[in-house]
Amino acid sequence: MNAIPVLTIEDVATLDGVLGDFLKKTESDLTVVIDRGGNAISQCGNMDVMDVTVIAALAAGSFAATRELARRIGEVEFNALYHQGNGNHIFMNSVDDETIMITVFGSRTTVGLVRFYSTATAQNVAAVLKLLRRTSHGLSFDAKDISAAPVFVDHP
Amino acid sequence: MSIINYASREIQFKIVYYGPALCGKTTNLSYIHQRINPLNRGDLVSLATATERTLFFDFLPLNAVVIKGFVTKFQLYTVPGQVIYNATRQLVLRSVDGIVFVADSQWEKMEENVESFKNLSDNLALQNMALDEVPCVLEYNKRDLPNIAPPNYMEYVLNNRKKRLQSFEVISSTGQNVFATLNAVSQVLLHKFSKHSQTPQREPLPVAIPVEPSAPETQRLPA
Repeated sequence: MNAIPVLTIEDVATLDGVLGDFLKKTESDLTVVIDRGGNAISQCGNMDVMDVTVIAALAAGSFAATRELARRIGEVEFNALYHQGNGNHIFMNSVDDETIMITVFGSRTTVGLVRFYSTATAQNVAAVLKLLRRTSHGLSFDAKDISAAPVFVDHP
Repeated sequence: MSIINYASREIQFKIVYYGPALCGKTTNLSYIHQRINPLNRGDLVSLATATERTLFFDFLPLNAVVIKGFVTKFQLYTVPGQVIYNATRQLVLRSVDGIVFVADSQWEKMEENVESFKNLSDNLALQNMALDEVPCVLEYNKRDLPNIAPPNYMEYVLNNRKKRLQSFEVISSTGQNVFATLNAVSQVLLHKFSKHSQTPQREPLPVAIPVEPSAPETQRLPA
């Protein structure tokens, strides 16, 4: 039997507080903390704009894909990546070895401001996650909680 | 590794479709995307070349309610099968929770199947994971083609081990057993995290070494 790491309601509230403060200061639209496998851990901001699940998967891929590029110039990885659009932009920065933070922002703010506040925010997020990894016991289920019916159904 | 968000009562699992080039991994995801209730799925995202070969990965998020009180999000990925993209396969395997190994049933693809399976095992080892620890099922795809190996030969080649994996005969282009495979890996995955639980298992296929079809006699050119 294995246990799944748990983000408690208190952990989520702490992360939301850190991320909410960051969004307010930078006037960004959305920020998402993801693990490097592409799973969203926490998110804050206007979630209606885009599918966070897809953004998380693609951002993890994008971040990982540049690792080899970084290695070629003698770096372990790039700490931050910036994708510039015409109106909307994405800034990604490393939180720790397992986690990345993604920020989506528009013309109300600048990449400089996002970059400036992202460093301190990443440190705060890293501190919360470090505590979580140290103290979390994880959760497992009773077999009776799992539905025996097929999980996915083929609709003709 | 999956994570539970108690505030939103969500669990996320990552399932990767792995296998040699052109074995039908993307076809599996396309079929699932077409047939599953649209309310339970997101967009199918494909990062492919102009000739529709997978360059980075395909991605399909699915939702289901399978554990009491939690929304379970399954994220399906494929890897690029071409040998040169091994670094990409390693990236996609990161934090994997379940694997569907898609094998091409054609005789001439058997060597590629074995190489890809070994490559999977090697890439998991790089993440300090062993194949026995990760929920995994085997899919013997393209069963509708004429030049295919019998299932018990596929079992001998890919599933001849002490702890055997569930395997399925699949035609991904028509959808035959595509959902059965996905449901099987999902159940193995869910039961991995449950207390005192035995995953429901099908009876494994018999393992036997059939005689390979004899090669056509070489035509001699007239002197």
